Amino acid sequence: MNLKELLQKGPFFLDGGMGTLLQARGLKPGEAPEKWGMTHPDVITDIQRSYYEAGTDMVLTNTFGVHPLRYSLSECEEMVRTAIGCADKARKAIADGKERFVALDIGPCGRLLKPLGNLDFEEAVQGFAEVVRFGVKYGADCVFIETMNDGAEARAALLAAKENSDLPVLVSCAYGADGKLMTGGTPESVVAMLESLGADAVGVNCSLGPDALAPIVERYLAAASIPVLMKPNAGLPQEKDGKTVYNVGPEEFSADIVPLIEKGLRIIGGCCGTTPDFIRAVKNASAGRVPPAVEKKEKTIIASRGHAIELGKDPVIIGERINPTGKKRLRKALEEGDMAYVLNEAIVQEEHGAEVLDVNVGTPGVDEPALLEQAVQELQAVTDLPLQLDTSDPEAMRRALRVYNGKALINSVNGKQEVMDAIFPLVKKYGGAVVALTLDEDGIPGTAEGRLAIAEKILKEAAKYGIGPKDILFDTLTMTVSTDGNAAKVTLDALKMIREKTGCGTVLGVSNVSFGLPVREVLGSVFLTLALENGLSGAIMNPLNERMMGAMISFRTLTGRDENCAAYIQYANDLPTMQAVTPAAGAAGGAKETEAKGLRRAVVKGLCKEAANLTRTALEEGRDSLDLVKEEIIPALDEVGQGFEAKKIFLPQLMMSAEAAEAAVAEIKKKAANQDAQASKGIVVLATVKGDIHDIGKNIVKLLLENYGFTVADLGKDVPPETVLEAVERLHAPICGLSALMTTTVPAMAETVKLVHEKAPWCKVMVGGAVLTEEYAREIGADGYGKDAMASVRLAERYMQEQA
Amino acid sequence: MKEGLRLAELGEIPFDEKEILRYAMLPSFAPAPEELPMKECLAAAKGAVQCRAVWCRYPLKRDGEELDLGFARTTSRGLKEHLEGCDEIILFACTAGAEMDRRIGRAKLQSPAKGLLMHAIGAQQVESGCDRLCRQLAEQFPDKQLTDRYSPGYGDLPLEMQKDVMTALDCGRTVGITLTDSLLMTPSKSVTAIIGMKERKSE
Repeated sequence: MNLKELLQKGPFFLDGGMGTLLQARGLKPGEAPEKWGMTHPDVITDIQRSYYEAGTDMVLTNTFGVHPLRYSLSECEEMVRTAIGCADKARKAIADGKERFVALDIGPCGRLLKPLGNLDFEEAVQGFAEVVRFGVKYGADCVFIETMNDGAEARAALLAAKENSDLPVLVSCAYGADGKLMTGGTPESVVAMLESLGADAVGVNCSLGPDALAPIVERYLAAASIPVLMKPNAGLPQEKDGKTVYNVGPEEFSADIVPLIEKGLRIIGGCCGTTPDFIRAVKNASAGRVPPAVEKKEKTIIASRGHAIELGKDPVIIGERINPTGKKRLRKALEEGDMAYVLNEAIVQEEHGAEVLDVNVGTPGVDEPALLEQAVQELQAVTDLPLQLDTSDPEAMRRALRVYNGKALINSVNGKQEVMDAIFPLVKKYGGAVVALTLDEDGIPGTAEGRLAIAEKILKEAAKYGIGPKDILFDTLTMTVSTDGNAAKVTLDALKMIREKTGCGTVLGVSNVSFGLPVREVLGSVFLTLALENGLSGAIMNPLNERMMGAMISFRTLTGRDENCAAYIQYANDLPTMQAVTPAAGAAGGAKETEAKGLRRAVVKGLCKEAANLTRTALEEGRDSLDLVKEEIIPALDEVGQGFEAKKIFLPQLMMSAEAAEAAVAEIKKKAANQDAQASKGIVVLATVKGDIHDIGKNIVKLLLENYGFTVADLGKDVPPETVLEAVERLHAPICGLSALMTTTVPAMAETVKLVHEKAPWCKVMVGGAVLTEEYAREIGADGYGKDAMASVRLAERYMQEQA
Repeated sequence: MKEGLRLAELGEIPFDEKEILRYAMLPSFAPAPEELPMKECLAAAKGAVQCRAVWCRYPLKRDGEELDLGFARTTSRGLKEHLEGCDEIILFACTAGAEMDRRIGRAKLQSPAKGLLMHAIGAQQVESGCDRLCRQLAEQFPDKQLTDRYSPGYGDLPLEMQKDVMTALDCGRTVGITLTDSLLMTPSKSVTAIIGMKERKSE
């Protein structure tokens, strides 16, 4: 039997803890076991042999900390070679003819991946890839990725293993007592992600004892269609006579684990505090017990970092707003690389009830693969909703799938051979659930039967790649009813037919049905209801459309999915705020004079809503927009700014005033879409320098600069010098503002200042941030030092005057 | 877990609006702006914060100009003064967790004021978490006198020491703190510090 078969069969035994045993043999606290093992190979072999003798089928090599971020490549290679040699020697020392295995052990690399940390995903993959290649070179039987507390890193390591070996890969994560990874993954989301990426077994290790880990293991068993493993600690560490001891012994350890074998657990070992006695105890106690066969789960699951959802049970809302088709503002944002706008669309949709987000950034003139990759990466930092990757460009799809930290909804494939040939290999490699459109080389069939035939063709082709029906959802294509009176009926019939005949889930973009007709949402909401009744699993729609949301929520309420009508009542309660798009009547009545005073006061006091309302009323009454800016908003900001400089007004107050001013200006822009309400004073390129991930201060400066009429190109945080220069040159920006909070990042700031001065001598560079002083700023060659946000505004104004 | 490391149970840390405003740089005498989105931000932070802490006790030795902290050596004068008379130290790391960082990022996108406030809430939570840990330690060592906290990066104690702290407390594994290549901690709302211990003199 080969290793994969043995893992499928179970029970299969791993080894236990290493650290405690090594410390007993001379490893000092703080010393790295993999380094120590280089000079004490016999001790390692000795311990591993005792594990084999206790009944371990596979030991893990002493390579937990080996990673190119910690050691040079040649050191890594030596460590892997030595460690595999030790384990191999241990198994050969027992001459009983039984087959035993050696797993290349891979632990976390010690740095957190983007977006929470700043380690690039590909850099992480590359590092793990080196270790895997050494493991293959020196004869490891499989790759064992363990103690991962960030799903993204587990994924990077798994991808590296899959891309650089044909060995089985086991992936084990470390959960907290709350059943979550440190970065938020749940058992269900992690299983969905790792399984779809091709792990051969998944499970949990470290952090807790077997009884506390048992519920997490049970959740793994309920979710996984592949073998599940467990390597618990010997309970919790306690202090006894100044030493660390664990509170669970071999007997209790095995008593907690054995019942799990009957539930399907099949790969068992120990982590911190466990010894060969623990493995022996579990092995003996489980003698004769065989876990039930691994059950293939037939649910359609998609997942984000910390959130798995099932499609096909209850209908889900897929937010459609991140798609530039027909959306001028979004298109502009994408062209300008204004990712904040895109991210805000995500947040707003989530707040209005979206459960999945469609992401489409395809618009002429942009580098779609790069932009989709960036959007997917940044979206994952602000929302935990699963994403639907929506592009017809296979390269864009590939790059987005590569960085998506979960199991995505892939939109889309269709019956065209060329498209299937391009997309299915990606689905096979990266995992995901695919949305398949029922059209092919001959177009969209006019009958439900025709669309079903295409669906069946697609299923057949997918099966060649090992992609089963559970990971395919069909979109029977919504056509506009205004051009073909029968269009909606065919779509709905096809939906029902495909649902019944194939059992697959279904997805529809519902808005399209009403194209070209008045009061579109009436038609759309009824179409949605009909589609839901015909078995729709996911509706691609606008969650901000209250009528469509009303249809969706009503459907849930009427089909027994809304306990106590709670969701419906919540929807009803939220209705007035959704309707607040129409101007509020409250502020009307006063004379122009007092309103004007009111606006200035509202900005000074930081009353955003009032500022917006007063501006709107004033404009409706014929007040000139430029007047409002010059006579109300600017004087208000000046008052606040001076107050801030005189230390009579403080940061939160300053910011609220800035936001109120922004709200007022937004109203002016709305009314005066055609005329240039406020000519820009000039462009400022703003960035937090490389290595620094603090951007609160930079954001405040941005807000104020914009208030004062500057156009700000915000490059974000952790920005390399070359990127700053590129923006300054491209925009021919007269001013560049750099921020750094930490002493360690000041060198990066100095480098950026130097580069900009050298290559873009026209640009004034102002710097700020907690560690800087006027003197320090001068030392690194900056043109100016902004001690706070107001000072930066004053500097920018001075530079523009000097250039005028 | 490595020999000698201890995880602390910090539980839920109450929000303290006064403190939060102080971290947002509003002095206690100044009125908070009427529409400051405090409520919204507190709601967003609720459930996001998970304060975790790990600590370890080391003997403190003096070796000429150098302090031997048990996990690292340093010549920092500031720390030497701070640890005057101590014969032991406690090294700890405390974090408000990754989810809080994510919520801060989200708030920053919505509005700079929300961003500032969320960032202040994170700071208040992790600092109060440290306070709670220090109270627990004081109770655990009633016969010892504990100094204030002193962190790598304060005064002349180099930030470089963070690397040793991460290794000593196995921070990635125990509390989920890692360093970036420029020695910043992620999650950002994290604190590492050294506390000195000396015998309490009976009066």
